[in-house]
Amino acid sequence: MTADTAVRASGLTKVFGSGGARVVALDGVDVTFERGRFAAVMGPSGSGKSTLMHCVAGLERPTDGTVHIGGTELTGLSEQKLTAVRRDRIGFVFQAFNLLPTLSAWENITLPLDLAGKKPDQTYSDAVVDALGLRDRLHHRPAQLSGGQQQRVACARALVTRPDVVFADEPTGALDSRSSAEVLTLLRRCVDEFGATVVMVTHDPRAAERADRVVTLADGRVVA
Amino acid sequence: MLRAMLRDLRAHKGRLAMMLAAIVLGVGFMVATWVVSDSTARTAGGGAARTDVAICAQALEPESGFTPAERDRLAALPGVTRTNGVRLGYAALVAADGKLAGVWPDRAGTGWDDSQRFVLADGRAPRAGELALGEQVAAAAGLTVGDTARVILADGSSVRPVVVGLFTYRPLGAEPIPSLAFAGDESAVLLGDRFDRVELATASAADETRLALQVKSIVDGEREVRTGAELTAERERMVADNARSVREVMLVFAAVALVAGMFVIANTFTMLVAQRTRQFALLRAVGASARQVRVAVLTEAAVIGVLGSTVGAVLGVLLGIGALAAFRPEGTTVAYTVSPFGIAAGYLAGVLVTVVSAYGSARRGAAVAPVAALRTDAALPRRALLSRAIVGGVLVVGGVAAVAATSGVDLDNTGRFVSMGGAIAVWLGLVVLAPFLAMAALRPLATLVGWRGGPTAKLAVRNALRDPRRTAATASALTVGLGLVCGFAVVGESFANVAGATTRDQVPAGTTVVQPALDGSRLGPEVVTKVRATPGVAAAVALTRAPVEWAAGDRPLGTTSMSPVDPAAFERVLTMPVVEGSGDLRRGAVVLRGNADLNRLDVGDTLTLTVAPGVTRRVPIVGLYRGWEGQPGIFLDEALVPAEHRGVLEAVYAAGSGARAGLDAAFADRPDILVTDRDGLVERLVKGFELVLAVIYAMFGAALVIAVFGVVNTLALSVLERTREIGVLRALGAGRTFVRRVVRRESIVITCYGGALGLLVGIGVGAVMQHVMLLQPLWPVGVPVPMVAIGVVGMVLVGVLAAVWPARRASRADILAAVATE
Repeated sequence: MTADTAVRASGLTKVFGSGGARVVALDGVDVTFERGRFAAVMGPSGSGKSTLMHCVAGLERPTDGTVHIGGTELTGLSEQKLTAVRRDRIGFVFQAFNLLPTLSAWENITLPLDLAGKKPDQTYSDAVVDALGLRDRLHHRPAQLSGGQQQRVACARALVTRPDVVFADEPTGALDSRSSAEVLTLLRRCVDEFGATVVMVTHDPRAAERADRVVTLADGRVVA
Repeated sequence: MLRAMLRDLRAHKGRLAMMLAAIVLGVGFMVATWVVSDSTARTAGGGAARTDVAICAQALEPESGFTPAERDRLAALPGVTRTNGVRLGYAALVAADGKLAGVWPDRAGTGWDDSQRFVLADGRAPRAGELALGEQVAAAAGLTVGDTARVILADGSSVRPVVVGLFTYRPLGAEPIPSLAFAGDESAVLLGDRFDRVELATASAADETRLALQVKSIVDGEREVRTGAELTAERERMVADNARSVREVMLVFAAVALVAGMFVIANTFTMLVAQRTRQFALLRAVGASARQVRVAVLTEAAVIGVLGSTVGAVLGVLLGIGALAAFRPEGTTVAYTVSPFGIAAGYLAGVLVTVVSAYGSARRGAAVAPVAALRTDAALPRRALLSRAIVGGVLVVGGVAAVAATSGVDLDNTGRFVSMGGAIAVWLGLVVLAPFLAMAALRPLATLVGWRGGPTAKLAVRNALRDPRRTAATASALTVGLGLVCGFAVVGESFANVAGATTRDQVPAGTTVVQPALDGSRLGPEVVTKVRATPGVAAAVALTRAPVEWAAGDRPLGTTSMSPVDPAAFERVLTMPVVEGSGDLRRGAVVLRGNADLNRLDVGDTLTLTVAPGVTRRVPIVGLYRGWEGQPGIFLDEALVPAEHRGVLEAVYAAGSGARAGLDAAFADRPDILVTDRDGLVERLVKGFELVLAVIYAMFGAALVIAVFGVVNTLALSVLERTREIGVLRALGAGRTFVRRVVRRESIVITCYGGALGLLVGIGVGAVMQHVMLLQPLWPVGVPVPMVAIGVVGMVLVGVLAAVWPARRASRADILAAVATE
């Protein structure tokens, strides 16, 4: 694993069920994502792209193969250690409705730090907040924010821990085309302005166009 | 449509289980209550009615019994085929441990005969020097066939007969049930030769009518003649009355359990309907009418109600029988009775409560717009809180006004009613206002943890605040249960204060008190003589008490209690805590202040007292004394009352520096008599009341158990609703422990809020209750600190316990549920 590799998966296999109901979601996938790049994972539904992200992000344990994130091997980690890796090393941007409704925007942004019992780095978090134009929205609850603003809060939350990698799962799935474009620009800026590594799962070719690199999956294998 | 609903119900077994738990507990407790009260009454009522008595001549007062000569005269009447004289007398059984066996000795002794009175359960009938015991008493005393028992008689002497038999008793009419039977002839020596009643049997019914008239013409004085049929009817009525009064008391508790259950059921339904908004909307979108949706929800409620009631009824019967069996004194039999009424009432309550609670939800469920099916964030239309605020506000303000208007201690019955009604109105008002109170109490807390708290506290408090209505409804069951317990604790505390204060007012510190060892029993007249003769006793006063009919001029006041005392002895030994007028009993009567206020009497009024049948006295009120309602309504000079009508001898008070030592020695061998002092007296009063309170606490504890289920329900459903959120939290790096902690803290916030409100309401209602019951000022009241401490600790514990299962469920929530694209 070289210094500019953020995530590496090798021989990643995931099998659901057994016997007649056996489904091979990932079939020996080898993939690396470079640091500071915006990668898109594409593929038709059922191709295993979501499973790949879940396994790589430590949300699901692969049946076989290894995953390294920033030099740490995930396979074999205890549940607690996995949780800590997710908290400290990985950022997430989910589909819409992924903010905690009872917390203000600022509290949502700093939640991963809060969970780790850390204080936010004021200069860095200020920079993120200002860059995303959330300064005057910090004390609002998610319900008082527009869809685009909510997604920006989610991006800020993913960046605030300075993770090794930010995973975005269908980030444009629940948005109209204008908001989608906004979110993609946002992710692009995360990479360009903050040097983040972003891996985005999407089935939208227009979204994939904004990425530096596209990994295409079909039937659990990398085809391109 | 209906089928779809029912299938849906079956598919969500967890929800079903939660709702059923609430109903089962409520109904189960109610049915158990019924079983216990019926069985208790039936057991106490004794065996089947007797058939061997045609006519019974009985004395109305223990003193007016029949002499053997009188019995023989009745026996000689033509048509009498059998005569049976029944003696009842003082016999105190000493248990195996040397203490008095727990049975009132006053009329516990009788003579054995071969009538239907006795049914031998073990051994044989007693001969001279032997004794047969009632099964229950023998078990309580730890005695069995072959043991030698010690029995103290009316004159204080003891006999030591051998126990040869155990019996159950078949009582006649309303007679007290004797539990010590001596040999027939010997009973004349031990209990006195007078008969309490003479039972006559005849050969035919025709003889019976004629004979009844004849007996009536012979029997005079304070005696009455009844037929066997009348007495059987009287017995049945008494058993039924007993069962009813036991049941009424217990049903109050069952009702509280059911009210708590109602909150839980209603809240659960509300949440379930909220969760199924999209399903309803879908039904509406594909063409179901609002009415159809409403009917479906109600039908579902009815089905669940019937199901829950069935399980509840079965559980209740088992619970009732189990409780009876568990608390049954060893070696006795209980007449287990399961009445169809009880089960029917349980069903009715269970189904009704379920359907009524579901109705509100059904209406709201049906009001869901079809378009809601197309939204992912469908929410139920909310009713305006305005009407709630108005109703609650009016109740609270009105209630407070009513209590304030009647805050004086000179309350008559109307005043008591208004005051108590006011307290109840405030309580109801607070329940109605509960969502506002929840907001008012939790918002500042949320702000506080927002500044200073960690992420768990922040999330927990805000989650609790998310739906104040839900939090309030969940906490309400707790509030009701804890409020009642706390209210009675306040009354208990106040009672202890009042009893202590008034006893100290009336009994000087050095006074020695001689009382029956068993509360509610009476002392024999020989005790007074013995106390006076004891060395060290300088003076002694006997306190007797008798019911008396009283009137103020022409205004009849009903019945109160009087204590005729010797004024000179009274003054030497006790103090009259006079609040108005004087305490000079030579010039007239001294009346309990509360008793005077209740009947609007004052110093200077003249009372007309019917001190004995046909004997009335006109006595002026010379003073009012401070005391509580358990004390005599009137003190007066014993010279005004004929000796045999002075009532039951309750205690003898003795003054003199050597009195305690002398009396301790004099009654050392009398476990049926207690020698104590002022502090002992207070302690005894308080202990007796504490026992009653303990029972009340246990009963209302059931409401708390149900409330816990309510908290579990709310949390479990909240967790279900927030699966996605919990998944996000977990994905962002919250461990399972963190998630569990958030749920647990939310639970503690809810229970502590409910508990705090319950304690506050309880103290308030308790203050009014003691004001009304004991005629004490509303404030200050003694706050039962240990009770409050237990309440607070208990609420935290309840919160932790209730969260165990929902928290575990939450921590196991699938992270992917949050991340997965729909």
